[in-house]
Amino acid sequence: MKRIACLILVALLSLLSAPLRAQMPHDAIYMPRKTVCIAGMYGESTWTDYWEGTLKRENLNIGRHTTRTAAIMPAIGISNRVNLILNLPYVWTSTSAGNLMGQKGFQDLSAWLKLKAFDYKGLSVNPIVGGSIPVGNYVPDFLPMSIGLQARTVTGRLLLNYTHPHTGLYVTTHGSYIWRSTIRIDRDAYQADNRVYNTDEVSVPNAYDAAVRLGVVRRAWQTEVFAERFACVNGDNIRRNDMPFPTNNMQMTQVGWYGKIQPRNIGLNARVAYVTDGLNAGQSTSYMLGLLFQLNGK
Amino acid sequence: MKFNTRTILIAALSVLGLSAVLTSCDKTIEEPQRVAYSPADVDAKAGSWKTYILTAPTDVTVAAPASTSSAAYLAELNDLKTKSASLTREQQEAVVYWGAGAVYRWNEIARELAARYNVPPASNADGKYPVPDAANPLADPKFPFANPPYTARALAYLSVAQYDALVATWHYKYAFKRAAPSKTDASVRVALPVSALPTYPSEDAVVATASYTILKAMFPGEGPFLDAKLAEHRESRLWAGMNVPSDLAAGADLGSQVGAKVMARARTDGMSASNNQTVTAAMIEAAKARGLADIWVSQESPARPPMLPNYGAVSLWNFDRATLVKLRPGPAPLPGSDQFKKELAELQAIQKNQTREQARIANFWADGAGSYTPPGHWARTAADAAHEARFSEVRMARTLALVSTALQDAGVCCWETKFYYYTPRPQQFGVKTSVGLPNFPSYTSGHSTFSGAAAAVLSYVFPERTNEFMAKAQEASVSRIYGMIHFRSDCESGLVCGKNIGAYAVSRGKADGSGL
Repeated sequence: MKRIACLILVALLSLLSAPLRAQMPHDAIYMPRKTVCIAGMYGESTWTDYWEGTLKRENLNIGRHTTRTAAIMPAIGISNRVNLILNLPYVWTSTSAGNLMGQKGFQDLSAWLKLKAFDYKGLSVNPIVGGSIPVGNYVPDFLPMSIGLQARTVTGRLLLNYTHPHTGLYVTTHGSYIWRSTIRIDRDAYQADNRVYNTDEVSVPNAYDAAVRLGVVRRAWQTEVFAERFACVNGDNIRRNDMPFPTNNMQMTQVGWYGKIQPRNIGLNARVAYVTDGLNAGQSTSYMLGLLFQLNGK
Repeated sequence: MKFNTRTILIAALSVLGLSAVLTSCDKTIEEPQRVAYSPADVDAKAGSWKTYILTAPTDVTVAAPASTSSAAYLAELNDLKTKSASLTREQQEAVVYWGAGAVYRWNEIARELAARYNVPPASNADGKYPVPDAANPLADPKFPFANPPYTARALAYLSVAQYDALVATWHYKYAFKRAAPSKTDASVRVALPVSALPTYPSEDAVVATASYTILKAMFPGEGPFLDAKLAEHRESRLWAGMNVPSDLAAGADLGSQVGAKVMARARTDGMSASNNQTVTAAMIEAAKARGLADIWVSQESPARPPMLPNYGAVSLWNFDRATLVKLRPGPAPLPGSDQFKKELAELQAIQKNQTREQARIANFWADGAGSYTPPGHWARTAADAAHEARFSEVRMARTLALVSTALQDAGVCCWETKFYYYTPRPQQFGVKTSVGLPNFPSYTSGHSTFSGAAAAVLSYVFPERTNEFMAKAQEASVSRIYGMIHFRSDCESGLVCGKNIGAYAVSRGKADGSGL
C-alpha cells in the first residue's frame, strides 16, 4: 500500500499536459509507449433477486446481497500498439439479512496483453489475451458469500473498433472465450450434475463473453453505453432452494453506461450497469468509481 | 519517469504464461477408483451370525438348486460362456464398477440419493413451508427431505437388510455348496477374482434386490434410476462370468423376502410421526419449567418449523428407551451463566478472526444441504475402511450395519436431547456462521453425537485405526464450533454421548457369533 501511495504522490507532482488515455481490456484505447495509467477503483454490486436455475426469486435469509470491490489497475504502454493491463481486486461480501458470515480478501490477479494488429482509417483489429491467478486462499464454494471461484483462467479475445476520426464517435465489439481450471475445495465430496463426486476436485465451466459499445471519445472525455453478455458453455443449475456452487452454469446479460473525464494527468471514470436477464446469477445493479493517474515516461 | 520495458513485458508474459500452464485444458475430474478383490476371509461360518430382523436364516426360503451335472445347469453354463466371451466397453465398465463390491456400491448409491434429496423445502407465497408428500415424491418440495435423521435411518435399514440377507445367503450357500461356474467348467471366462465361496444364491443378486427394496421405499421418486441400477448389477454378474441366471434368480428371491421383512419394521418404527409439530408446545413448556428462559427459535425467515421434533421417539436398534433416558447428557450451561458467557465469547472471537484452517475444518465436516449428511460421511468412511481391509460381502455388511444402527441410535438420542432441552443457537446472540445454520435446537451437537458413535464402532472393527477415527470424530465435533453454529458444551457433551451410544453397537458386535 505504501508503494501505491508513493506512486499517487509522484503522479500528483508530475501534472503534465499530455492527453490522457486511461484504458480497459475491452476497449481499443492504447497508452503511448513508456506511459502508465494507474486506476484506483471502488465498486459495489448488489442484488435482492436472483435466478435459481430459470426461477427468479428472492431469499429472505439473504435480503440484499452486496459485493464491494477495491482494485488497483495499472495500464502500461509497452509500445504504442502493445499495452499491458494488470488488475488486483480486494473484495468484501455481505448480506442485509440472515446469518451467513461475509467473506473478504484479495481475489485474483489478472493480466491482459492488448495488441493493435491492424489499424486503417479508424478501423482497428485488436487481439487480446488475458490470464488470472488467485492470490488469496479464500473459500470458493461458500456461495453466494465467497469472493471468487479460485479458478485460474486464460482468456482469448478479439476486439474490433471503428472510431470516426473527426467526431470521435465509436463502436466497439468483442467476443472472448474463457478457459477456467478445475479447483480444489475443502470437502472431499460434493454434488453436481445430479450425482455425487467423491473427490475435492471441482470442474468450473468454461465461458464466453461478448459486448457491444457505442460512444464518443474525445481528448479529455469519453462516454458510452454498452451491452454485455457472459455465459458458461456448460454447467448445472442451482438445485431447488439450495445454494449456488462453482459448477453452476452462470449467465447474465447486462446493460450500462461508462464515462471518463481526464483533462490532465488526473482523471475520473465511472460505470453503472444493470443485469436484465440471467441464469444462476443475481440480478445485480452495480456502480464503479475510479481515480486515474497518468505517469509519462521520458 | 523511466520504465524498463523489457522487465514489464517479461513480468506480464510470465503471469499470462503461468496461468496458461496452470489452466490445463483437461477438465476430467479424477475420483478414487475402487477395484475388485478376493476377500481376505470368505467367512464360511457367517450363516450362523446373529441377525437383526430375521430370527433365523430359515425365516426366508430358497429352493434347492439343480445339480451342476443337470442338463438345465449345463445349458446355463453354455449361455454364460457366450455372454461373458467378449464384452463391449460399457459392459466392461459395468463389470469393473460392480466388481468393487455389492454392499460397497449400494451404500454409495444410497449416499448419492441422500445428497440429491437433502434440501429443505422452500417457503411458499403464504410464508409457509409445504411438507414433502410421499405420494407425490417429485413435486416441489421433493419427498423425502433427506436430512441427517432421515438419512441415518435410511442407511440403517439398508445395511440391516443387506446384513440379514447376506447371513441367510451364507447359510444357504453352504447348505447347497454349488461351486462357481468357472470352477465347474474352467472354460468360463471370468473378469473378476473367484473365491472359494459357493455361488447359489448369488450374494450380488441378494444385496441388489434387498437394497433396491429399501431404497425404493425410502426414495419413492427414484424407481427408474433404481430399476436401471438393479438390472445393470445383475447383468454384470453374467458378463463377468461369475453367476449363472439361477444363482441370480435365487438371490433376487431371497433379497426381496428379507427386504420386505425389514421394511415391515420400518413402517412401524414411529418415523411417520417424527415430524409431528404438535409436540413442541409441551417440550418448550417443560424446558422453561427447568429454568431455560431463552428457548430455541427458528432463525429462518419466515420462521421454519423445527426439523423432525418427534424423531427422538423413533425406534432404537441397540438399546431400549430406558437406556436412552440414561444416555441423555445433563443440561447445557444456562444463558447468562459464566460458562455460557465464556462459550459465547469463544464463538465471537472466531467470528472476528476465523483462521483459514478453522474454515477448512468447518467446511470439510459441514455435510450440509446438498450433501450426504454426517451419517453418510461416516458410512463412506466405514465402507472405505472395510474395502481396504478386503472384507467379504457379509463382513462388510456387518460393519456397515453396526455403524449405521449406531448412527441412527445417535440421531434418535441426540434429537431426544435437543428437544428435551430446547436450547438456543449462537445465532440468537448475534453470531454469524461460515457453514449455514440447521433449523433445530442447539444442545447437543448432532455432528458430535453421530461422529462419536461411528468412531467408537469403527475403532472396535479396525482397532489398529482407533487413533485415526477418534481424531476424525474430535475434528468433526470441533468443526461446529469453528463454523460458529454450536457452543463448546454442545459439542463436548455430544461427542461423549455418541461414544457411549456406539458402545452398545460394539457390545452387540462382540456377541453376534462372528467371533470378531
